[in-house]
Amino acid sequence: MSSDEFSVRLAAALARHTGKPAKLHDVQRLTGGANRTTMSFDAEAGGQRRQLILQLGMQTADPASAIEPEITPEQQARVMIAAARAGAPAPRVVAILEPADGLGEGYITERVAGETLGPRIIRDERFAAARRLMARQCGEILAAIHRIDLAEAPFLARLDAAEHVAAHRKLADYYGFRLPALELALRWAAENLPRNQRQTVVHGDFRTGNLIVGEEGIRCVLDWELAQGGDPMQDLGWLCVKTWRFGGTEPVGGFGSREDLFAAYERAGGHPVAPEQVKFWEAFGNVKWAIYCLRLGMRGVDEVSIERSAIGRRIEEPLWDFFNLIEGRE
Amino acid sequence: MPQSVPSMPALLTAAVKYLEEDLFPALTGYHRFQTRVTINVLNIIRRELEMRGAQSAAERTRLRTLVGRDGDTETLSHELSKLIRQGAIDLNDANLRTHLRQSLADALAINNPKWLKP
Repeated sequence: MSSDEFSVRLAAALARHTGKPAKLHDVQRLTGGANRTTMSFDAEAGGQRRQLILQLGMQTADPASAIEPEITPEQQARVMIAAARAGAPAPRVVAILEPADGLGEGYITERVAGETLGPRIIRDERFAAARRLMARQCGEILAAIHRIDLAEAPFLARLDAAEHVAAHRKLADYYGFRLPALELALRWAAENLPRNQRQTVVHGDFRTGNLIVGEEGIRCVLDWELAQGGDPMQDLGWLCVKTWRFGGTEPVGGFGSREDLFAAYERAGGHPVAPEQVKFWEAFGNVKWAIYCLRLGMRGVDEVSIERSAIGRRIEEPLWDFFNLIEGRE
Repeated sequence: MPQSVPSMPALLTAAVKYLEEDLFPALTGYHRFQTRVTINVLNIIRRELEMRGAQSAAERTRLRTLVGRDGDTETLSHELSKLIRQGAIDLNDANLRTHLRQSLADALAINNPKWLKP
């Protein structure tokens, strides 16, 4: 499809879904991969200009997608709508694409300005005030996400901790990669499953890097494709994984303390926090990231960029952090 | 005596020096980022060439004790993975933990030495 033809179809889709014909400006591709494209554009109608994002995606044949299921773009949009209704700052959905739009699977949301790059959020002076607020904001946002009625998203896969561990064990076996430290971490996870798991909607990838941040704090939560039903404590644990601190010294996302996160989460109506249970999910989060590194490394340099492929060489980072965490060296 | 000179690490050091000191400062955007990634990758290769031999020999010695037989490092490491998986070795075994930490530290010294700093 030529870019002109693409813009014509996009304008027609927007008009059909919003009922307002608009002139498009600045249609540009922000990121694009084999299975996902993000485009930014403005829609001008009645003298007003709306900043929008188009997210296109499709299912891929990656062996991991069968094990940790990614939801479809339409399902992502439905979860974001439910999240916004529950009070979480999810992108506002403007339209969910249909086959008649001729653009493939995807959705259009409002565009939120701000910073997403972890190192800048953690280091830049202009976010210093935001950083002091963000652990509390994360607690409040997660409490809102975990309040979403699972019945509103019946398509979400529901996985408890044992199923997560088994799925990752299977993935490591699929690649046939034998690393004693990874074997120990997988066995540790299987033997230390949390006892009192609840089941709520969880974001699945809530961390620095997937948050849009402004000088006043968190503006928006992105990347809902790993949303699922499961133990809400996993979102709190994943946010603490050292990789997502981007060199920051604070345990929560590189910017805040666990105490602030837990207290704000409970105050905002979240479930009672058992720190040991969050610690399990943080430790297992390291295992998940290690296996993700393995996935990228195994895909080979000709399939992915040298940058993505070289992430395979990062597998020892989360495993090192895993041992520090379970041995209390942090 | 090596078969050829300069050695592999010496050649890589020279290549990285050019990329880092001459080329990189002149670049912007996509190529600047990709060159940074390339420099990192070449440094990983250099460190592996310099360090992996001695690491592997020491690893083999530790593995012989843990596994209770002899073999090359890779075979013994696979054997240890199997023992861990089968539950044939205690997860809290002090020698096992020491070995795994040392092996991870060795790999990090090659792949990303900065990660080891507290």
